[in-house]
Parts: sequence; C-alpha cells; structure tokens
Amino acid sequence: MWRKSKPYLLLLPATAAIILLFFGGIFDGLLKSFGYFPAIGQTELNLAAYDRLLSSEAFWESLTLTLRVAALSSLLSAIIGALVAIALFFLNDAMKTTSPKAWHRLFQLPLTIPHLVAGYIIVLLFMQSGFVSRILAAIGWIDDIADFPVLVNDPFGWGIIFTYAWKEAPFVALMLYPVLSRIHGSWREVSRVFGAGNWQFIREVVMPVMMPAWTVATFIVFVFTFSAFEVPYLLGVTYPSVLPVYSYQLYTSGTLADRPEALAVNMILAAITILLGLVAYYFSKRWNVLKGWG
Amino acid sequence: MNDLRIIDMEKRYKSAQPREENSFMLRPVRLAIREGEFFSLLGPSGCGKTTLLKLVAGLLEADGGEVWVGDENLTNVPPESRRFAMVFQQSLLFPHKTIEDNVAFGLKMQKVGKQQRLKAAHGMLEHVGLSGFGSRFPDDLSGGQQQRVALARALVANPRVLLMDEPFSALDPGLRVEMRELLSRIQKEFRVTVLFVTHDRDEAFALSDRIGVMGEGKLQQVGSARELYERPETTTVASFLGLRNILGGVIENGHFASTDQLIQAAVNRPLANGDYFMIIRPEALKTVESDQLGQVRIKGIVQELKYGRGMYSLKVKAGHQLMECMLTISQAEKIAVGEPIDLFVDMKEVWFLKK
Repeated sequence: MWRKSKPYLLLLPATAAIILLFFGGIFDGLLKSFGYFPAIGQTELNLAAYDRLLSSEAFWESLTLTLRVAALSSLLSAIIGALVAIALFFLNDAMKTTSPKAWHRLFQLPLTIPHLVAGYIIVLLFMQSGFVSRILAAIGWIDDIADFPVLVNDPFGWGIIFTYAWKEAPFVALMLYPVLSRIHGSWREVSRVFGAGNWQFIREVVMPVMMPAWTVATFIVFVFTFSAFEVPYLLGVTYPSVLPVYSYQLYTSGTLADRPEALAVNMILAAITILLGLVAYYFSKRWNVLKGWG
Repeated sequence: MNDLRIIDMEKRYKSAQPREENSFMLRPVRLAIREGEFFSLLGPSGCGKTTLLKLVAGLLEADGGEVWVGDENLTNVPPESRRFAMVFQQSLLFPHKTIEDNVAFGLKMQKVGKQQRLKAAHGMLEHVGLSGFGSRFPDDLSGGQQQRVALARALVANPRVLLMDEPFSALDPGLRVEMRELLSRIQKEFRVTVLFVTHDRDEAFALSDRIGVMGEGKLQQVGSARELYERPETTTVASFLGLRNILGGVIENGHFASTDQLIQAAVNRPLANGDYFMIIRPEALKTVESDQLGQVRIKGIVQELKYGRGMYSLKVKAGHQLMECMLTISQAEKIAVGEPIDLFVDMKEVWFLKK
C-alpha cells in the first residue's frame, strides 16, 4: 500500500502548489469576473462585467490589436526562425568544422535575454531619437530624426512586433533545428542524384519534415505573444492597448467596480488560448504521417 | 554508343595530422564501361570504391580526371543534371512520402506531369514485385521491400547510368540472393548500364559482366569473373578473391622451386627465368592421387577441418605454408586434425605470377 502510494505522496506538495496557484487563481478570477466581491458587499453572480465588456468599443479595439500583434509577430518569427534553421542546416552540411558552433551560439543569444530587456533594446534602437534613426540621419538617408517612422509606442504595434520577432525567431529556430538535423545527410545526396536542386530539396524534403514542429512552435509563439504583458506595456500606446495591458489598466483604474471587467478580460484571454490549443492539437494529430521515422 | 568513361579520376583526402600529407587517396582510375554492361567494383572496405562511385555521381569533387557518357563530358555537370540514378546501402526513402511518390520523385524533379509519373511509378513497382504497395509509407515495408522501392525509384527515370553502392549488404543472406536475381533480371530487361560497388565476391561474380578489383586506393585489375579468378595479375587481387595458396619461388629453365623447398615441379608453360609466385586455387588441390600425369605431391599436417555448405574446407600446414583446399564429404571422412596428409597439385591448374 505504502509502496504504491509513495510516489503520489511525494508528488503531493508540488501538485498541491500547482493546483492551488493555477486553478485557484483561475477559479478566483472567474468568480470575481462574475461580480462576486464580498469586500464591497457583492455576493451575487451575474454576467454584467462580460456584458459591459463586450459592448465596449475599447475591448474590441484591444482584441483586434492583440490578435494583429500576436499574428504578425508569430508569422514574422516563424518565417525568420525557419530561415535561420534552414541556413544553419545547410551551413552544417557545407562545413563540417568547428565554425557552425559559433553561429549556433550567435542565434541562441536572444534566447538568454529577458523580454523586458529585449523591449528596451528595441526602444533604444528604434525610437525616433534612437540609435538607428540617428545613424540614418548622420549618413544622410533621412534629413532629420523626426523623419524616422514612429516604430516604438506606435498605435499599430510595430515595436512590439519587432521585439517578439527578434526574441522568438531563435526560439522557432531552436525548435526546428533538431528536427532538421534528423534529416539524413544522405537524403541530400539522394535528391541530388535524382535531379533535385537546393530549392527543390527544401520544398520536397525539408519543408514537409519540419512542418509539424514549425506549426507547434508558431502556435506557442502566438499564444505567448497573445497573452504577454511586459513588452506591450513598455512598447505600446495607452489606447488602444493589448488585452493583458487593458486588463491591467482596468484593474488599477482606481475604482473597484472595474475589477470584474478586468478579470473578465483575463477569462476571455484564457478561453481563446484554450480554444486555439484545441485547434492546434487537432491539426497536430492529423500529421501522424511522420510517425516513427528517422 | 553511350559508354561511361572514367578518365584518370582521382581524389586526395587531407589527413587531420599535418605530418602525413595524404591519409587516403584514390589514385587515377581509367575505365570504360559499355552501354548496358553490368560492371562491379570489388574490393575491401576503405579501398576507395565508394569514393570512385561518388566521384562518378558528382557527389564528390574530383581532384583530377573526367567523366564522359558517350560524347558528353559530365565532369563539371552538377549531379542533379547528370541523369544518373543511385541505390545506396540503406534504402533512404523519404518517410513523409508514399511509396509511389518516392518512386516518382526523380520524374517529379524532371517536371513530368502527375498522372504520367504515377503511372510510370506503378509500372515500375510491378516490375519489382510490389504492385499494390503504392499508397503505403516506407515505414510499413520490410528492409527488402524498401530496397526494392529504392531500385524502382532509381530505374523509373530511365537513367543513363545506374550507380549502386553495396545495395544489398544490409539485407539477410536469403534476401540478398533473391535481390541479386531480381536485379539481374531487371538489368537485362532495361539494358541499363550499371556500376555496382560491393565487397562481396559472390555477389560480384553472380551479377557482373566485368569486375574491377580495387585495393589500396587503386584499380588493380579488370576482367570477367573467370579471368580474375584464374589469372590474377597481382597477389593483392589473388588474395582478395580468396586465393590464399601463394608460394614464392624461382623458375629456372622451365622448372619451379618454391623458396621453402615445399614444391619442385616442371612448369607447363613457357615462362622466362626469374622470381615468381605460384598460386594454387583451392579446387586444384586434391587428397587422392589420380592417374593423370603432372601432379605434384605436398606433405603436410591437417590443421583445421571445417564444414560449410556441403563441402569441407581444409587447412594443411606444409612447411611454413598454410594451404587451403576444398573436400567433398566422403573425402573428408578419412581425415582427422593433427594427422599427416598428402596433397596433390594439378600443375595444369596453377597460375604463375611474376614478382
């Protein structure tokens, strides 16, 4: 009896902490989003917060911005990441010496930098009085630093997108590279003998092989950028703001009456994330064509 | 005529240690393979035969020499434009493609329409005995079946030359024989020029029109199986072909005497005086004296008697020399290890090699 239950008991503290913090937090948030707030005497559950939220223009603008930023940053990092991974793959093929190692390290560098720092780097580089702008002005590409497009703290969210693209592209590459390195070196030889040039090899072999991992990596980036707070907080504008920032703004607005709405935003974020997760799971199941290869 | 001609191809590999300048090299090889011929490169591992194959395919860059097919110089043509095909030791099928897509791969690269290339793929799968397997994935097939698919993939695009790099060495022996027969039949049917690399003598002998024996990064001798086996030009070729009864000696006035005085016999061919090797095929050694003339007796002690596939192989210590011969089961019955034995050499069957 003891022997059987021992592993479970040993796992209990960790499990308890996870359940309490994760599900407890969600449950608490859910309750409060339904208007349950004993501190101000509200104990009735209702959908008023959701109602108000869904009929407010600010919410929809925020949702549109969030989806756009998340979609563009994941798309951009997926493309850059894939290019980097493929480049590293061919690099490894071309020179079997020690030099590819240095390249790998270079592309791993962004992974070690915290998002907040990455955000600041983008600010310093790309704001109108930033590094890039001043260099372009100095070499005469633009007359004045004010001519530099507003890329940071802009309503479209370019700054956020750049930060995520820079930060997540190596993540995508890191997810793809092991998959690519499983590609048999001799497959290149086979495809060459049968008439495939580099581009055909990429299209016929490399792309299909990396597709499942690529989709998963892109999805992870999407979900992350969709619900991340610090970079949009630093690089976004006050209005419209992305959903996590919007939630924060509501929560700290000063009136306790806004709090159910703030938590309702979070619940909607969580619901959308779960929905996307299910969609991604469904698609990844359909790619079991690749079972057991390698 | 679309003969494959290899003119003085060579390859040097730089060694990791700077002191040895070349750790391995393929010395210039000159070879002409006729259209529709089955040519094997036979040699031990590391002798450079796979290197030569990859040079012909264009997968390795040669340090010198040229490859021609007919009157077209392919030396600087990239491998994807040579219209060659290759079968490797592993099948190397693409796991994400179905069998028919794998077979049709070469045609797809040549921009053949989908219907047409799938039709050709089905036809070729039928030839290798795998019709109905088209929509499966490589994982669902056994090793032998995968290698048949690889063969179909190689042949479907009607290649000018089919290169094969020990394609059956990863298969079990029964399957290997079966694949040999399949390959032999298909090669004759399609009249495709084959350059086949193997370290398996039986395989090379069973399949080839001609064989090139390679050793130490050099093409040692080219000829039919029988020419090579009965008239090897060097002791390297002889010993690789399993001829281990090699006696050093001198011929003087039509008389051979081995250095260790084991054999003294009249030579039945006009050979100039000098130092020679006498090579005795295992089949030329007998344990009973027949009434034919020209037999020479060797005395020795039985060292080893081993049974193998209906025959016994016998090792006899004679002087410092270890002689090998083959015996039938009834001949072997009277023999025991450690006992003295008389061996008789049929002098008509021996081969002399100038040192």
